[in-house]
Amino acid sequence: MGTLLQQVINGLSLGSVYALIAVGYSLVYSILLFSNFAHGGFLVVGGYLCYFALNTLGMNIWLAGAFSLVGAGFAAIATERLAYKPIRERTSVTLYLLIASMGMSIVIENIFVVIAGGRFRALPPVIPTNPVNVFGLATTSAFDIISLVTAVVFLGGLQIFLTKTKWGLAIRAAAYNLRIAGLMGVNVARLISLVFFVSGLLAAVGGIFLSVRYTLYPQLGMITIKAFVAAVIGGLGSLPGAVVGSLILGLSEMLTAGFLSSQLRDLVVFSLLVVTLVIRPTGLFGKNVGEKV
Amino acid sequence: MSAYTEGILILLMINGIAAMGVSLLTGFTGIFTLGHAAYLAIGSYTTAILTLDYGFHWLPAIIFGGILAMILGYLIGIPTLKLFGDYYAIASIGLAESIRLIIENWQSVTNGARGIPGIDTFTTFPVALGFFLVLAFFAFNLINGRIGRAFMACRDDHIAASLLGFHTARYRAFSLALSAFYCGIAGGLYAGFISFIQPIMFDMLKSTEMTAVVVFGGLGSMSGCLLGTTIITLVTELFRPISQYRMLIYGLVLVLVMVIRPEGIMGQNEFDMKLFRKIASYIRKPKTTSERG
Repeated sequence: MGTLLQQVINGLSLGSVYALIAVGYSLVYSILLFSNFAHGGFLVVGGYLCYFALNTLGMNIWLAGAFSLVGAGFAAIATERLAYKPIRERTSVTLYLLIASMGMSIVIENIFVVIAGGRFRALPPVIPTNPVNVFGLATTSAFDIISLVTAVVFLGGLQIFLTKTKWGLAIRAAAYNLRIAGLMGVNVARLISLVFFVSGLLAAVGGIFLSVRYTLYPQLGMITIKAFVAAVIGGLGSLPGAVVGSLILGLSEMLTAGFLSSQLRDLVVFSLLVVTLVIRPTGLFGKNVGEKV
Repeated sequence: MSAYTEGILILLMINGIAAMGVSLLTGFTGIFTLGHAAYLAIGSYTTAILTLDYGFHWLPAIIFGGILAMILGYLIGIPTLKLFGDYYAIASIGLAESIRLIIENWQSVTNGARGIPGIDTFTTFPVALGFFLVLAFFAFNLINGRIGRAFMACRDDHIAASLLGFHTARYRAFSLALSAFYCGIAGGLYAGFISFIQPIMFDMLKSTEMTAVVVFGGLGSMSGCLLGTTIITLVTELFRPISQYRMLIYGLVLVLVMVIRPEGIMGQNEFDMKLFRKIASYIRKPKTTSERG
């Protein structure tokens, strides 16, 4: 019983970090309708900025965190302006954006290979990882609790931003139909930049937690594949779907690792994806778009 | 011809065969794949195991690898090809990673992550050239024939195609099977070329590269994908001395091509008389014609 509860807490914690990444990815998808493969790059930018802020600039974790969040947000805006905007303005074929985003993901990864080197780095112990007893039922690490709480705070913040503010309303309108939102007087260019900023910021939060959980290295962005899988299981473009998909993924990964074998966890994740899509081709919460002839 | 030049030429042929396979699926049938390295892996592992453990001659082993990849592709295609767009792209990543993980964990047959060393180097220049010419002849005839036109109809408007009586689902699955066959053959040749295979060689980066090459050359252009392969293979060889920057340059090239000429080098043109006539008329009166691919 204790092991089960412990694995469930671990799973929720991992799933909530996936959720931070998947929500940003899904947000971009809901506006521009393409899979932004450079999303993993934003996460790496966040992780490295935090590392440099802590080690070289000697900031404390709050300042370094804020610094890396804002930095990754601006990196996301820069990516959009440099690579996606010229394509977006020329064609409406989202496939080209997808290829460009794969290119950008390789570029960002290798910028860090060149300037920081390919080796694994450990963040200084800024987030406590000592064992914590949960109501006398199970023992888990403080880090898992902290990442779970942080993710909930950020996702809640996003929800408030999307439902209570004017820009949030604009984003929801654009997710419904970008062109008509533009015609209604929304500044589309600024809106897209804002969406990328938010998605980069959320990815950086995920990046910091992932680089504490594992270590920091340029290929860390590959983990976003899991977040993409989560977003697809939940239904592309659906934010609640992304969160639910991430939690399912985190739980199944940790439960497999805990009770079967940790080598099988990725296999379980991908099988889950394929089974979900075979049963529901647009994911759990995806819009079933009826095609017009 | 020095051994180095011969090696590069063989590599070009192998990559060309794989690119033709991906081009059939992504370029001509319009199904975006990010998991074709899996079929490469199936082909090379089948060839390696058959020649080493069962004493097969390399020729039937390669063909058997191709057929196995084809059967697998068809079986995968039936349930998954009802997915469209990004959903299939993500599902293909999942499937490819699953296949790679199965190979990695099936120790008794595949020797796991350590890979299979000591494969006979049977892929000499004449062998690679022979396979390449036969498969290229077949591919070019196919795309100009009835089946090729059906593929293109599925790509351009699958609803209209099905209204015209094409069984689009069957054509999509057939296209996947055929492209898997090409990649399987390429994998077998690759195993015989480098004589050592390992699951990590067939990861997502390889899949991405295979698709990127096809997009780079021009979606819907068989000669374009061969040109794209040649350029990318040569560029990566050329930058081997500064290997640190190699992937960075590769990513930048990808982004730049998408920004400058998203339809790829060749667009949908082929190297034939039609293209030369087009170019000739463009040179004669450059102002009136607005041909940009």
